Amino acid sequence: MSFDPVVRLAGVSRVHGDGPQAVAALREVSLDVAAGELVAVMGPSGSGKSTLLNLAGGLDRPTSGEVVVEGRPLSGLSAGDLAGLRRRHVGYVFQDLNLIPSLTAAENVMLPRELDGVRMGQARREAMAALEEVGLAEVAGRFPEEISGGQRQRVAIARALVGERRLILADEPTGALDTPTGDDVLQLLRARCDAGAAALLVTHEPRYAGWADRVVFLRDGAIADSTLPLESAR
Amino acid sequence: MAIRQGLLALLSQGPRYGYQLRAEFEASTGATWPLNIGQVYTTLSRMERDGLVAPGEQDDQGRVVYTITEAGRAEMERWFGTPVAQSDRPRDELVIKLAMAVTAAADVRPVIQAQRVATMRTLQELTRAKRASVAGPAQRLVLDSMIFQAEAEQRWLDHCEAVLTASPQTQERQT
Ligand SMILES: Nc1ncnc2c1ncn2[C@@H]1O[C@H](COP(=O)(O)OP(=O)(O)O)[C@@H](O)[C@H]1O
Ligand SMILES: [Mg+2]
Repeated sequence: MSFDPVVRLAGVSRVHGDGPQAVAALREVSLDVAAGELVAVMGPSGSGKSTLLNLAGGLDRPTSGEVVVEGRPLSGLSAGDLAGLRRRHVGYVFQDLNLIPSLTAAENVMLPRELDGVRMGQARREAMAALEEVGLAEVAGRFPEEISGGQRQRVAIARALVGERRLILADEPTGALDTPTGDDVLQLLRARCDAGAAALLVTHEPRYAGWADRVVFLRDGAIADSTLPLESAR
Repeated sequence: MAIRQGLLALLSQGPRYGYQLRAEFEASTGATWPLNIGQVYTTLSRMERDGLVAPGEQDDQGRVVYTITEAGRAEMERWFGTPVAQSDRPRDELVIKLAMAVTAAADVRPVIQAQRVATMRTLQELTRAKRASVAGPAQRLVLDSMIFQAEAEQRWLDHCEAVLTASPQTQERQT
């Protein structure tokens, strides 16, 4: 295992708009997430949590500072290369799940792999493995509206996990789930990290942040506090 | 103090030696309440005096088996049947500390922030202990209780911060 972080934010700032309307969503944030590490991000609404995640995954670009994913500074990448890196290395789970209603659970999970250029047969096998991992093999053929909210959430997670993505970014993935289902979601993220992925998890639930190796508290776009990493006695 | 009632509950399962009671007490409550063997024997001899337990003969190693009496069973049932009164619980130092910080017009925010990091750390450790735990349901429920308490404390700290930020009194002081 390499000791380079899977993702590094170095002095990253993000300002939205300009002039008197400018909003500093993130100010000089530096953060490394290593392979195997689950880092929780907490903070009041508007403190910059989603901005941090979007920058870490290359969905948004910083105003200043650098984001490095798997050793590659994102500032140097063309739009096409950035899109390719995102697809290969980064899995996202958003608050609104973004499942495509006209595709089955399996097809939703296959989609990012097909975009990667993986052949259909293999994409399907990988999707089935990912659905199996989240305990949903039996609903693979159903459409999003034919499964429960908790199951939809897990499909979205399977989609983020498919194809060995090493950086998982999850923005309130436990959304409106009840406690046992939310615990299942954390169990899955934790297992992926224990298997070598790096994850950033935004949550406002202390009980879910409790699963993390390290908890970072954001306030007004800056890191206000952070717990020390638990020694890796996992 | 619930040591004696706890010991009675264990003895209701059958006669036991003092050292067994200590081990079973800790197995049920986890690391939350370590007992030393001296406490166990002191409590047993008081319970014997009060007629709640009866000692058997000493065995050749000088050990004594204790048995619960009818009065002991009644005491245990009374305990299970009575809710714990709020006033019987120890005071929470954090609550007092924050109230005093506000009263003394100290800067409360660093107190809240330091506590938030410490409590989160506790929550991480508890969550890890729970994941690694192969213990029975009693110990698991004790861990859950500690997790819920840490969680509640974390929410309360957020609440304190929000209230103090909104309060004109504290804002004046800061400016
Ligand atoms: N596209 C945008 N345009 C303007 N302001 C934005 C935009 N996105 C976020 N912001 C502002 O940046 C700050 C941080 O937002 P966000 O990262 O969404 O916070 P959080 O996820 O912690 O609630 C907020 O003040 C928000 O209003
Ligand atoms: Mg957000």
